[in-house]
Amino acid sequence: MVNRGGRLMDQTRRRPGLFRHFLLTLRLNFRNRQALVYGFLVPVFFLLAFGSVFRSDSPLLFHQMGQLLTISILGGACFGLPTALVAEREQGVWRRYRLLPVPIGNLVAGTLAARVVLVALAGLLQIALARLAYGTPLPMHPWQAGVAFLIVTLSFLGLGLVVAALANDVPAVQALGQCLFLPMIMIGGVGVPLAVLPAWAQRLAGFMPGRYAVDVIQRAFSNSEGLHGAGFSLVALAVVGASAGCIGLRLFRWDSGRRRGRPVRIWVAAALASWVAVGCVALETGRLTTVLPEAAEYEAITDAQIAGITFGDLPGDAEFVTPLARPFVSAADRAPVEELIAQLKTWAPGQLDDAGQSVRNLVCVACIADVTRDPREGKVGRAIFDHLRKNFPKDDLRRALAWMILRPDDGTVINNAPELGFHRHPPQVTIRSRGVLYAGKFLGRLEGRISD
Amino acid sequence: MPNSPPASVCVRDLVKHYGSVEALRGINFEVAAGEIFGLLGPNGAGKTTAIECVLGLRRPDSGAVAIDGIDALAFPGRAKERVGAQLQTAALQDKITPRQALDLFASFYRKPAGTGALLERFSLTAKADAAFDSLSHGQRQRLFLALAFVNRPSLVVLDEPTAGLDPNARRELHRMIAGVRDAGHAVLLSTHHMDEARSLCDRIAILDHGRIVATARPAELVSNANVRPKVAVKTRLPLDAARAGALPGVVRAESQKGGWLLSTTDVNLTITGLVKQLEADGNALADLQIQGPTLEDVFIELTGRTWSTEEDA
Repeated sequence: MVNRGGRLMDQTRRRPGLFRHFLLTLRLNFRNRQALVYGFLVPVFFLLAFGSVFRSDSPLLFHQMGQLLTISILGGACFGLPTALVAEREQGVWRRYRLLPVPIGNLVAGTLAARVVLVALAGLLQIALARLAYGTPLPMHPWQAGVAFLIVTLSFLGLGLVVAALANDVPAVQALGQCLFLPMIMIGGVGVPLAVLPAWAQRLAGFMPGRYAVDVIQRAFSNSEGLHGAGFSLVALAVVGASAGCIGLRLFRWDSGRRRGRPVRIWVAAALASWVAVGCVALETGRLTTVLPEAAEYEAITDAQIAGITFGDLPGDAEFVTPLARPFVSAADRAPVEELIAQLKTWAPGQLDDAGQSVRNLVCVACIADVTRDPREGKVGRAIFDHLRKNFPKDDLRRALAWMILRPDDGTVINNAPELGFHRHPPQVTIRSRGVLYAGKFLGRLEGRISD
Repeated sequence: MPNSPPASVCVRDLVKHYGSVEALRGINFEVAAGEIFGLLGPNGAGKTTAIECVLGLRRPDSGAVAIDGIDALAFPGRAKERVGAQLQTAALQDKITPRQALDLFASFYRKPAGTGALLERFSLTAKADAAFDSLSHGQRQRLFLALAFVNRPSLVVLDEPTAGLDPNARRELHRMIAGVRDAGHAVLLSTHHMDEARSLCDRIAILDHGRIVATARPAELVSNANVRPKVAVKTRLPLDAARAGALPGVVRAESQKGGWLLSTTDVNLTITGLVKQLEADGNALADLQIQGPTLEDVFIELTGRTWSTEEDA
């Protein structure tokens, strides 16, 4: 009993040490200008950048909060945490901590806890500024958003520990951190939205934790069912974070003089193996299907909206803008575009799961031929119309065309198609405006309001 | 030594390798309460490795370390409660203040010393709330020394405590270290400064390539050494080499700074002979100094190498 009591006394006496270390880590961070710039100014910069890039979205930034918060967490994990740890190690601070009568892992845990708080403050700052500057709604599921944020932060801080263990000095942290940060930002679905990435990049993103981080946070923000259905992403983050955290602690260096040898490569390979494992499982279980741009919602177009569309202002079929050849009645009529007709049957952008975007992509081909003054422009338009009628249910097609007319800025547009023989790059804005006209001509014919 | 006080630290057969390099080759020493024990050796001799093994920063390949009778390798946490240390290559965060640092480190121990008392004892009260990066080198060293006392240690370990200090700051720190010993703490100190070891340490162990080649009081090391005294002499008119070498008792004459350094078997005999020779030549003494054996001489005698030619580890 005496011993047990004594042990309890020891524990209560030691708690202040770890708590004091946690508080001091926070306090010293706020005295470090560089840490403030990286920890708080950079996330604000990303917020403003997203606000200008996605200015046409409504509500503004609501569907990008998962990306924005993930960027902040990633920055804190790839740069903030390892920079602080390595700088202190270089100064000899951890060498001195090592003399304390507590396991060094406890102090690392305190440092991680402080970093969680700092990253959370940066996240809250982003949410508040988004609300103030852009009117972005608060998360639909605040508690779930907190849980998702915490899981993502802990997962990424594990990666930060590995970076800190590998980097011999602070400049090396920047180099190693970028090796994680940039791929996830560019092709990992964190900075550039998955929907606008090519299919190969989307599949590659499935092997990076950033994709799952964005998924869980965004669900808590804008999914009516919250984290329900995010089980795989949560498990993926847990696997990647736990393996990186364990390996980061295993490789943790308290002394700058201690360099790692060959075995470190094995541990790093083990950490990366968890990424590969997650990606392979996602691939095998069909979770890496191509993500399509948001807000197509062509299916929501009503018959009344279609009935309200007028076709009187459309240019004539033989005019300079949006020419459209008469229906093909012979092989000779079709001959100039025969090859194109065959190619359209396997053209991937015209065969997406989202019929609305597929139709938009196909109409873009007619627009490209028109804008680039292809000698076959009228026949290309006719070939596209024939292809649409043949390959899409009429109801889907009329709604998709109406969607193009009523929501010209929705979805994405294609402004070159070298695989179909169109190599020039007309401006996207021109393609969008021509698309409205061609969609009108096609819809008018489908509705029987324009004679063919 | 039946009347000796109990050892605060007892090191036995300590061996440590770094790859193929043998940093420690089975060293043994003890430090008693109220004693300053110096590990003296050139850079690369193994002093820091020995200290790091005592502090639990490195795990020796074999051997034993006991602190106040506690097996430091088996119970590092308990041993660390009893040790305070000032490390050569350790600093603090740039913006931490001495008060914050002392509060932080003290809060991890069972019987912490008061921060205010430590600030006063080590003359840091005026700088208690200044950022670490604004402190002078001497103030930082005093802070590190204060940090070594936050847990009321029985053993204080100081690794090259005066490295980089100016003479005034070094004297000040020597005074403080002597005060630590006088307060009853055991002090284990590493240094490569001969004068520091001789003036500060009660006992010295001379390390060379991971081995202790001698352990004794500084005066005993010198008096027991088989090293001849030297007479440094300068004369008004040049004294030629043949006359200098032929003086009574002289076994070796080295030209030095316009005079001669004479190694002799008998100082009296050599000086008497020198004076007679000068009178006979119409010459006269300009300067004369008798040099007893130094710790450097002892090191050279024990290892066969000169101190300055040792390479850094």
